Amino acid sequence: MTELNQLDLYKEMVRIRQFEARVLNEYHADKSPAWDIGAGLIPGEMHLSAGQEPAAVGVCAHLKKGDAITAPHRPHHFALSHGVDMNAMMAEIYGRTTGLCKGKGGHMHLFDPENHFSCSGIIAQGYPVACGHAMAFKRKGTDHVAVAVAGEGAANQGAFHESLNLAALWNLPVVFVIEDNDWAISVPRSASTANTSNADRAAGYGMPGVRVENNDVEAVFEAAGAAIDRARAGEGPSLLEIHTVRLWGHFEGDAQAYRGAELETLDERDPIPAYAAAIGLSDDQVAAIKAEADSEVDAAVRFALDSPVPTADDALLHVFA
Amino acid sequence: MKDARAVGVVANPASARDIRRLVAHGSSVTAHQKLNQLRRLMVGLGRTGVQQVLVMGDRSGIAIGLVEASGRPSGAGWPSVEIIDEDLTNTAADTVNATRRMVAAGVGVIVVLGGDGTHRLVADECGLTPIVAISTGTNNAFPIPLEPTVAGMAAGLVAGGRLDVERVARPAKMLEVRCPGSGRSERALVDVAILNTERIGSGAVWEPGTVEELFLCFAPPDGIGLSAIGGHLQPVDRHEPVGLAIRLAATGPPPSGAPTQRVAAPIGPGLIAEVDVASWSKLAVDQPVTAATTSGTVAIDGERMFRFDSELTVTLRADGPLVIDVAEAMEFAARSGLLTGPVAT
Ligand SMILES: Cc1ncc(C[n+]2csc(CCOP(=O)(O)OP(=O)(O)O)c2C)c(N)n1
Ligand SMILES: [Mg+2]
Repeated sequence: MTELNQLDLYKEMVRIRQFEARVLNEYHADKSPAWDIGAGLIPGEMHLSAGQEPAAVGVCAHLKKGDAITAPHRPHHFALSHGVDMNAMMAEIYGRTTGLCKGKGGHMHLFDPENHFSCSGIIAQGYPVACGHAMAFKRKGTDHVAVAVAGEGAANQGAFHESLNLAALWNLPVVFVIEDNDWAISVPRSASTANTSNADRAAGYGMPGVRVENNDVEAVFEAAGAAIDRARAGEGPSLLEIHTVRLWGHFEGDAQAYRGAELETLDERDPIPAYAAAIGLSDDQVAAIKAEADSEVDAAVRFALDSPVPTADDALLHVFA
Repeated sequence: MKDARAVGVVANPASARDIRRLVAHGSSVTAHQKLNQLRRLMVGLGRTGVQQVLVMGDRSGIAIGLVEASGRPSGAGWPSVEIIDEDLTNTAADTVNATRRMVAAGVGVIVVLGGDGTHRLVADECGLTPIVAISTGTNNAFPIPLEPTVAGMAAGLVAGGRLDVERVARPAKMLEVRCPGSGRSERALVDVAILNTERIGSGAVWEPGTVEELFLCFAPPDGIGLSAIGGHLQPVDRHEPVGLAIRLAATGPPPSGAPTQRVAAPIGPGLIAEVDVASWSKLAVDQPVTAATTSGTVAIDGERMFRFDSELTVTLRADGPLVIDVAEAMEFAARSGLLTGPVAT
């Protein structure tokens, strides 16, 4: 298993948070009302993952070049942790030609074939794709793994169950990661799901299922390391459900009236200051790490803003028909 | 004054879902299976005259599922079910809170379904209220697998006063670990392990190479977990007034001693480790011993709990929770004819 490096885990969580905090600001800077999603320099819906960094950082710490991740509509934390280029990501978010999809995809469609990273706005669709990656890895005789990520809401989709079934049947090197943030848009888990843990569902398909509580990056790191090692060693698929927290709205512009009193407790549940305290970082260290992340993010925003906007003619390029 | 007709039930929703399913061959116990166990328990409790059950609330649908099931035709004859769900946190604190409230309500018995950790939390709070300890999972030393129907009958007979608690329950041993430097103190029902790792991480202990010292309340040779290491050096049963202290010849830096013995110990489900032992000795009740290690992490009953960097003392105590021996209780019930009688004509 990869050695745990607390400072690296912390820095990566901060890097993601600063990226998203900046996207949040830039996104709202030119939208009025906030839900006018077509307006401004960053068009379209925006699903940010603040609070869920431990899941991405704990899992991706064990991945190597050539391993695959399929992420859902809330993809930034996994993309950044998996090594997707921040400039190309930011440019895609701004809809520029230097973006990962030449500005045609936006934030929910970050495709990076070189890093085997993809995501999609159609929830749970990444599960079968991850099984495909895993089948290819297995047939080629490599020790690569595929990681499929989605929310607890997505785990009620047929594609999730079909994928668990096939992965178990074919003993594929895939790790199914469920980020349980208690909400699927405005629907609490208790209103949608007969199982209270997807670890239980894994048991039904004959694969190990583990639930990590408390949004703890080191606990995620250990469990993910064990699951990924198993997959590399040919021991087959497993499922990791991570109880995490969505600190912001489902999408930007979501007033979150449905969350009631929970909204007041969110600051206390932020995993980043909690981890800084747990590993004993000083205020100066925290500030320096944040400043380093900010300068990387500044450069990415500058790169995006300096990049060309697609022309009308570009609409006809890179299409099938 | 105990209310003989009420019984408390603590079922840990989180047991059998941790990393041991990945690093060993731990089995999964689903929330639905736990609810099913509680249904069987209710039949045993109801049939032996228990009127009311106070059940710990949870966010896994177990307690709510039980209330719902009690309203179905198949729930006829069950005790009434009341959920203790004030201030739920979805953490171990729920077990502590619920146990306190059960004791305050004067329940006659508390039935616990969970692993070593769940039982430890109950043990810290249950005082003189006897417990029935049921294992849900595969990596437990303290609770044992029991059929809840039968365990419910035993609990009901004790709660109703038809079985004398003195005859069928005995106090468990506990280990008290104190770190005067930090003021931290915890109690263990099975083992205290001193690890040379700095990480708490997922909690579970599965790498024997990280263990420097081990203190055991009991050491069954047929047990599973760290206590099995002791079981093969010097078997100690649950009721003997001694414990064990073991220095492992871990791979780490001093104070690891030179190995003198190698034990093949089943330290987890499907996980047998070759463990090198430097020395071991018996622990006497109420005699504090000082750990040789002065920094690292303390694991209580197989869960990494806290870091320390000063002296630690460990003391064996004989005043743990009163545990009902279900086999003994049922044998006594049989000999006393508590569940037999003439055919009504
Ligand atoms: C197949 C499909 N159905 C419905 C939607 C609309 N939708 C977008 S996000 C979402 C909820 C997802 O919840 P969850 O899987 O818990 O992920 P989270 O947003 O909490 O990260 C829904 C229903 C969709 N994108 N795709
Ligand atoms: Mg969700």
